[in-house]
Amino acid sequence: MALYRLGIDVGGTFTDLLAFDAQSGTLLRYKVPSTPQAPEEGVLRALQALEDDQLDARFHLISHSTTLATNALLGQLNLELPRLALITTAGFRDVLEIGRQGRSEVYNLFVRRPPPLVERQDRFGVRERIDASGAEVEPLDEPHLREIARELIRRQIQHCAVCFLHAYQNPVHEQRAREVLLEEARHLAVTLSGEVDPQEREYERTSTTVINALLAPIVRHYLLRLETALEAQGAALFIMQSNGGMAGVAGVIARPATIIESGPASGVIGAANLGRLLGIERMLSFDMGGTTAKAGTILDGSPQIVGEFEAAGRTHSGRAVRGSGYPVRFPFVDLAEVSAGGGTIAWLDSAGTVRVGPQSAGADPGPACYGRGNQEPTVTDAQLLLGRLHSGQIAGGAVALSHELAEASLARLAEKLAGFGSIRLAAGIIRLVNADMAKVLRIVSLERGHDPRLFTLVAFGGAGPLHACALADELAIPSIIIPQHPGLFSAWGLLVADHSHTELQSLLVRANECDPTWLEYLFHQLETKTQQALEVETTQSGQISFRRELEMRYAGQSFDLALPAPPLLDQITFAQRLEAFHTLHERVYGYAAYEAEIEIVTARVEAIAPLAKPFLSAYPLGQSQPAAEALAGQRSVYFDETGAFVPTPIYLRESLLPGNTLRGPAIIEQYDTTTVLPPGWKGSVDPFTNLVLERDTE
Amino acid sequence: MDRSQLSHPASSEEAPLDPIMIEIIRNALLYASEEMGIVVRNASFSPNIKERLDHSCALFDEQGRLIAQAEHIPVHLGSLPAGITNTLAYLQHHNYQLVEGDMIVVNNPYIAGTHLNDITLIRPIYFDHHLVGYAASKAHHTDVGGKVPGSISSDATEVFQEGLILPPVKLMVKNVFQQDIAQIICANSRTPTARMGDLRAQIAGNLRGELRLQEVVARYGWSLFRGAIKRILDESELRLRQQLARFPPGCYEAEDFLDDTGQSDGPIRLKVALTLAGESLLVDYAGTDAQVQAPLNAVLGVTLSAVYYVLRSVTDHTIPMNAGCFRPVTVHVPAGTILNPRFPAPVAGGNVETSMRNADVLLQAFASIAPERVPACSGGTMTNLMIGGDNWAFYETIGVGMGGRPGLDGIDGIQTNMTNTLNTPVEALERHFPIRMTRYEFRENSGGAGQWRGGCGLERGFQVLADTAIVTLLSDRARFAPPGLQGGFPGQRSERLLLRSTRREQPPEMLPAKTTLVLHKGDELIVKTPGGGGFGPPDKREPTQIQREYEKDLFTLEEQGESR
Repeated sequence: MALYRLGIDVGGTFTDLLAFDAQSGTLLRYKVPSTPQAPEEGVLRALQALEDDQLDARFHLISHSTTLATNALLGQLNLELPRLALITTAGFRDVLEIGRQGRSEVYNLFVRRPPPLVERQDRFGVRERIDASGAEVEPLDEPHLREIARELIRRQIQHCAVCFLHAYQNPVHEQRAREVLLEEARHLAVTLSGEVDPQEREYERTSTTVINALLAPIVRHYLLRLETALEAQGAALFIMQSNGGMAGVAGVIARPATIIESGPASGVIGAANLGRLLGIERMLSFDMGGTTAKAGTILDGSPQIVGEFEAAGRTHSGRAVRGSGYPVRFPFVDLAEVSAGGGTIAWLDSAGTVRVGPQSAGADPGPACYGRGNQEPTVTDAQLLLGRLHSGQIAGGAVALSHELAEASLARLAEKLAGFGSIRLAAGIIRLVNADMAKVLRIVSLERGHDPRLFTLVAFGGAGPLHACALADELAIPSIIIPQHPGLFSAWGLLVADHSHTELQSLLVRANECDPTWLEYLFHQLETKTQQALEVETTQSGQISFRRELEMRYAGQSFDLALPAPPLLDQITFAQRLEAFHTLHERVYGYAAYEAEIEIVTARVEAIAPLAKPFLSAYPLGQSQPAAEALAGQRSVYFDETGAFVPTPIYLRESLLPGNTLRGPAIIEQYDTTTVLPPGWKGSVDPFTNLVLERDTE
Repeated sequence: MDRSQLSHPASSEEAPLDPIMIEIIRNALLYASEEMGIVVRNASFSPNIKERLDHSCALFDEQGRLIAQAEHIPVHLGSLPAGITNTLAYLQHHNYQLVEGDMIVVNNPYIAGTHLNDITLIRPIYFDHHLVGYAASKAHHTDVGGKVPGSISSDATEVFQEGLILPPVKLMVKNVFQQDIAQIICANSRTPTARMGDLRAQIAGNLRGELRLQEVVARYGWSLFRGAIKRILDESELRLRQQLARFPPGCYEAEDFLDDTGQSDGPIRLKVALTLAGESLLVDYAGTDAQVQAPLNAVLGVTLSAVYYVLRSVTDHTIPMNAGCFRPVTVHVPAGTILNPRFPAPVAGGNVETSMRNADVLLQAFASIAPERVPACSGGTMTNLMIGGDNWAFYETIGVGMGGRPGLDGIDGIQTNMTNTLNTPVEALERHFPIRMTRYEFRENSGGAGQWRGGCGLERGFQVLADTAIVTLLSDRARFAPPGLQGGFPGQRSERLLLRSTRREQPPEMLPAKTTLVLHKGDELIVKTPGGGGFGPPDKREPTQIQREYEKDLFTLEEQGESR
């Protein structure tokens, strides 16, 4: 009887399922349409497909990623956020709406501010005050709070967030407020800012707390439905968090805002796991789908993490536009994102310059070649015209591509450009979109102080492998890995992720006033807390390991740098950390200020419990010549390197075996993607059946 | 790259270029300027740059023409390019050679074009020992000396009272940081440590810009790069001309007033006439009042910033910003006026207060040209607040109500027009300074009524915890309310209340908009910023919207009823 671990990735268009049986090493894959209104139905359908195939299948572990939280915040799919009350320190009830007081587009007179998540009439100020040191300045006005509680009953409000100034330093007023509120209104679900996000800066903390409180009922409802539906299987359910760690249902219900970037994190975790398997220290992940491309950095098998993210916001040139969304201060896999994908549309501006994006035809109606109503040329249409994609059925018959429609769309645009034919335009569109996507790779490498020439690119997503070599050329990245199932890679990431839980404590002390023994004690406390959280959630935990982190800055700065902290802090190791901070500051910002004081801002602990995960077997390398059946044919493909169409062999990925070597130009086709190997590149299949692309130096 | 192509930069011929290449180079340069800004922000010390993002970065070609500017603060938009032009002219005039490895520092507003707090660093960029361009960054340093903490006083009569004046001098020679120059800057500041950190951050930003520009030149070659720059500037010019051509030709005038200088009573007139003739625009400030003996004079660079800001906002804000955008526009500002003062008139408030009014007056003139594109007046003051004492200085500007817009209400409590600096978080402020915030809320009933109402201003309260603190306020719209448009009502005027700890029972003291005073422990200052003007007649407003505003406690029904 096969016992499977499942990875189920629910995307906007498809729900992907990968099932792995550790005993036999079998990996099964399924793709079913997503059911956005009730995502659990798609999940169950995918499971049904698996069960129909494998009558005796049993599952012991189901890992899941979902876009539910993001969709709810974007107001999509009729996911209605509950009515929430917000109680703040008197005089500060508008902090949530004022935000940081800036506008997200400076030169747009018609700019809008994202609508407040709690309406003004439901925001209440209560007299109380704690100062920056945590001392009480004014006691909590309990009679007023009781009045508010009764008002909430009158308004039939069931959810309430409490965000008092400096609650990260001293939570007693918030805690007392909860007691008083519950005394008056027992039905209230009360969320405290000091428990959700105990860090300085009132707007970010309030926003994080409010989002957590708003998502709680929706996420809870969904997960409990899913859990019930899966009950018969007796399998443990885990959800991917935005930081790449899995959490159990109880943990996610307590902090639902931790799963906002669930899907994108999965892919990066898949890449990180591949890096560990292959022993690659530095990797850039590149994930390109129909509408967006995302890049991340992986060092020593760990993705880079940031402490804050703007949910439901916009991006500009790969960077989040400040003030366009809602800040959430939880750890997120650090991803730069650009609106560039297969469906991205090319157009002409009024000066006659060709522009690509940010508009996308998405998956529906999709590129012009889909023939579903979009007439404007997209990146996919350009790839098709250049011969890199083949016309006819793709993705197992899900879509058919029409060469004629692609050509017509490009010809219409080319007519308006002097001296441009459709082909030259198509090649230009690809160069433009590559330049755009190179930006996100620059942001996660050069802007973070890393030299891309020392990195390996892992390209996935339905369109990633089409563009990987061109991007590597752009940044002088020497080698690329195309995993076995690039189009299902997020689901793969779900299969290899570990169970984790993070806790932090705000410190805000000067390094010279900081006693390492005290710090060690705090870390130890945080470790106990995280360990308990993990143990509550699961019976599967094996050996728990801890990842400690210290966030530091020069006193007076307000952007922190995170450094790993050793398992035992003493005078010596603490001094080493301070030294390491100067070095890191120099690397990231170009200088170190040895004369300046260092401030220790936050201590953070992530506890990690490994989950049973698939192992990839290494096959012996065979001959370099691919088998005859791997060569599917030949067609004319255009490359920038040749400036013309050249006859190019087409290989089938599934028939390529470890050891096989290909020389560019070549096209490698598979069920879920197409890999382009331009002239000057060579590709080989490694023992784990990854495709490794490198510059051909011979 | 091919050395022969570099041999004589000025003689480069038109290279074979296609629209794709141009777009790639344009994006690479814009990206570089944005990356410079991020480096400056991340590495800077002071909350003003870090938290409030009061800085700008740009790249220029070897002739000093703007080729890419990150979208930072609008008030730096025209002043940074003017600053480069003036600095290069100054250097030439003084026979002061700029060579490879140099970096210039300058803050003289009559050269670098804002006020003394804005320190500009300029790096000439060389590739293969040939000058290929410049990187420049400008950042607001919280304190550069002068008569009050924060350097921006309400009553300076000459620029000499506003802090250290730096003509263009070298902060870096042969890539060696000139410690002595930096020490002069630090020695003149009440917050020397932050000055050093912020200068270093600006250097790091410029060096990043240099690296990126060199990469572009190396990759495409000098001649192709030159050709692309020409096209990039030409295309921005073309797109702006296309926009201007859509407006009806004619001459359009507007005027508006600053309340007073703070020392004398008389209002100060700003007057502009826009003449549209086909694809070009003449902006003439004839009729604007003479310069004043108060820190409200706006140097020419600041005046130009407002022109470019408004033009960009009412035409197409997606047109890439570069020197090409300046070509269709001629700006005439009579010398000796408040918008083009003569040295040594004080200028600290010119780019914060006068530039806001300049934007107002320009927008009002454009309202008759393109009524569907122009909102009613926003709050119209940056409300500069400096609080400081022994070894500490806090500076901030406070948001206002945005004017109502055709089809949209104005936004409540937000930075508008010439600034977009972020607020200082209450918790960060209280950690760094002996101040306790007592409120930070929308100012109810302050937005002007209209079919589309003006946004409400803000109320921000500060209680002093130090024994004494010097407070300087430089604000406006205490007398002339932000006007409505097309029948909309004006927004509420600004107010400042002082509650002395020794006289808590008495009614608060009303403070003038421009003042410097000493506060003692426990004293509380409450600043109320103006609301935006309404757009369109209030009786056209949907009753459901009025009801909604009432429910939000933003307006009382009487207030809206009265306006109708």
